[in-house]
Amino acid sequence: MYQQCVGWLRSIRLDGMTQTWVGRHALAVVRGLALAALAVAEALAFLLHMAAFVPGFGLGLVFLLPWPILATRRVPNVARRLAGAWGGVDIPEPYRPAPPPPVPGPDGLYVRDRQLYKTPRIPAFAARLDWVLGDRATWRDLRWMLVDPVVGGAMAVAPAALVAAGLWYAVTGAPTNWWALPLGLLFALAGVAVAPALLWVHARWTRLMLRPLVHGPTAECRRRWMGERFIVLVRLLTLAVLTLLGVPIAALSVLGLVLTFGLGMAAVLPPIIEYFRWLANLRRRLARDWSGVAVSRPYLPRPDLPPLRSDGLYAVGKHLYKTPHWTAYHQRWRWLLHDRATWRDFGWQLTDPIVGGLLLLLPLGAIGYGIWGLALPRILMFVGLKPAGGDWYGSVAGSAAAAIPVGLAMAALGVVTAPAILRLHGRWTRILLAPTERSRLALRVQRLTETRADATEVQAAELRRIERDLHDGAQARLVAVGLTLGTIEHLLDRDPAAARALLAEARESSAKALSELRDLVRGIHPPVLAERGLGDAVRALALDTPLSTEVRVDLPGRLAAPVESAAYFAVSEVLTNAVKHARATRILIEVRFVEELLRIIVHDDGRGGADPGRGSGLRGLQRRLGTFDGTVAVKSPPGGPTTVTLELPCELSSPKTSTS
Amino acid sequence: MRVVLAEDLYLLREGLSRLLTAHGFDIVAAVETGPELLQALTGLRPDVAVVDVRLPPTQTDEGLQAALAARREVPGLPVLVLSQHVEQLYARELLADGTGGVGYLLKDRVFAADQFVDAVRRVAAGGTAMDPEVIAKLLTGTDRAQPLARLTPRERDVLELMAEGRSNAAIAQQLFLSESAVGKHIASIFGKLDLAPSDDDNRRVLAVLAYLNADSR
Repeated sequence: MYQQCVGWLRSIRLDGMTQTWVGRHALAVVRGLALAALAVAEALAFLLHMAAFVPGFGLGLVFLLPWPILATRRVPNVARRLAGAWGGVDIPEPYRPAPPPPVPGPDGLYVRDRQLYKTPRIPAFAARLDWVLGDRATWRDLRWMLVDPVVGGAMAVAPAALVAAGLWYAVTGAPTNWWALPLGLLFALAGVAVAPALLWVHARWTRLMLRPLVHGPTAECRRRWMGERFIVLVRLLTLAVLTLLGVPIAALSVLGLVLTFGLGMAAVLPPIIEYFRWLANLRRRLARDWSGVAVSRPYLPRPDLPPLRSDGLYAVGKHLYKTPHWTAYHQRWRWLLHDRATWRDFGWQLTDPIVGGLLLLLPLGAIGYGIWGLALPRILMFVGLKPAGGDWYGSVAGSAAAAIPVGLAMAALGVVTAPAILRLHGRWTRILLAPTERSRLALRVQRLTETRADATEVQAAELRRIERDLHDGAQARLVAVGLTLGTIEHLLDRDPAAARALLAEARESSAKALSELRDLVRGIHPPVLAERGLGDAVRALALDTPLSTEVRVDLPGRLAAPVESAAYFAVSEVLTNAVKHARATRILIEVRFVEELLRIIVHDDGRGGADPGRGSGLRGLQRRLGTFDGTVAVKSPPGGPTTVTLELPCELSSPKTSTS
Repeated sequence: MRVVLAEDLYLLREGLSRLLTAHGFDIVAAVETGPELLQALTGLRPDVAVVDVRLPPTQTDEGLQAALAARREVPGLPVLVLSQHVEQLYARELLADGTGGVGYLLKDRVFAADQFVDAVRRVAAGGTAMDPEVIAKLLTGTDRAQPLARLTPRERDVLELMAEGRSNAAIAQQLFLSESAVGKHIASIFGKLDLAPSDDDNRRVLAVLAYLNADSR
């Protein structure tokens, strides 16, 4: 049905007609009407989306989501094809290819998001959901469905509307005004005249909205332009909305304080405090992402249940409690109310609507009032769509003439100052929402405790392994060599031939012991690392990898030995993963030292799907690098490619000594 | 034959010098550190140098660096490098100038005294002596795996021994083949790997090593 529809629409060509001017233009008018009908379909498709999205996102009925999106993709596809057939504009389909069906693991189960499934049904659905919702083209389609019925629809229907209105005016006006007939016909003619041009514009508009996103230099340039003029304003507006949202939350907090300390309803306060931390956290994130002001979370870590005392009670502060439940309750109270960040949050909630709100109001108000309060009303008065005078819009200090320049100047000033205001707003956020020294230290202590435990555990395991390897390997072989030598001594005179045979055996044993020791040393601290440093050690690793591996190293000198060693073994582990699990064919390793940070990026073209939560290898890596405050970031979408980024803060220990 | 020996561990230095003297070599200098080695190599111009990779004062690859520096100054100066471990990376650096007269062996190989002495003589004569472990790594970890897969097992054996730097006669002896059979295998290998044939043993070995080393890395 869809194919037939497209075919039919395409066939509206009528070769004879296209030969003449009138024919071509009349055809464009008709095509415009078809596009207007398409605009109606778009609006319906948008409504269908909304009908599914409201329960889908609102009530969590996610199974409703993919269907309307996939079903209505035909509408934008028709628009793309028609833009090609009628507007001469080629718009390829932007959609991502559908995900492959899930493959069961060796145990016959399907893995998805760290969960095992017996049947492929749920994993397949989850993959489909990711595919559809994760595709930017989906959201661009949706935006188009919202905007195009108005913009594109108006463009499409305009010629036909002009013709219809012109003819109607000519017919109905003719009896009273003699000039109604020529004027009406002129209008109708104008409609016919502009039809092909509008069709052309419509096709370009469609391409703008529906083409695949490419990040060429022009797109980059435009984004930067948008970033400077537009995104800042959108951010300010969003912050303003958030500030307004903060007002009822602040009121609720005040209510909680009153109920708690006024009426003794202590149970209401902790949930209010804890729950509404999301708002402050959101603002911290926005301050970092939008204003460039780093504000980390200040909250003290949630305490664990205290150990049971010898008398069977739990101590929280100076109070003793019997049950874990009450202990936890009082602990939570103490944790939240003894945290200075809580009170600073309160202070922020109460002051932000005033200080932050005023800050935001400056540029937004200047732009809003400048355009809608002064310039626009004045322009409308000029055009005659609005009666002059009557209210205070459209005039400055009683003078109407200054309204347009002053209004535009205000708006321009608002736009120009917007980035500075956004930064200032971020700084304001930092004043009250940044961590205090105490909470910073508490968080640091928690982190150090965790990583120290990891470090000692890893070290102990390593020593156990070395001990075992030596005991079962080299040590045992040397004992064997000693025994054999004793036997040889005994045989030397009586049976020289047997002694000679044993001699060869002893030599072989000692060679094996050496080879085992070599392997052991490699596992403790690779000689090439000691001799050449990280860069060449990674190069040596790459050479020993049975894949095509490229290494780019940019290190100004040797790094501190423990960091070198940790980084080396981390790279080794990542390479092993790439070879073993990712089925990669090419690997690129970048080792770079920038601003006190060692960054190693390992990129492979394998099948992806590496999940730090699932494999113990990557998690072990995280733990081992954690000792150095290092981080592991894994980007591995199903189907690949995989990029593992290791970052270790460190210092250079010496300038470059290696020659390569 | 005049030999310069560089080894920082007293026991090993004495053992090596005893071994080489027993086989008729003349130890003209036995040094402990990188700078001393460089001085001995450029000053004494020995027929061959036996060098430990790791030497004082830095305890890094001082020996290797001194050997490479000396070879830059005296092109083709025969150097046999010994180490507790072998790295493809170092092998590549030694072979990079393509002139031969280099060796790179694990210290364990000293155990088989005859083969070790043979390797020293080969290097002194401008040939090569590569450790079997290096060759094994070169053969597995390379982009050339595809053409190598076309070789027969026997041809692969011959290739490995040839890459270690053995002469045709030595290969024949080791694999219990006639020398002419070895020659035929070598011709076939060169054909399959698309290498230009050569009559000279050393040049043939260098061609094979260059082939194995030449990949995108």
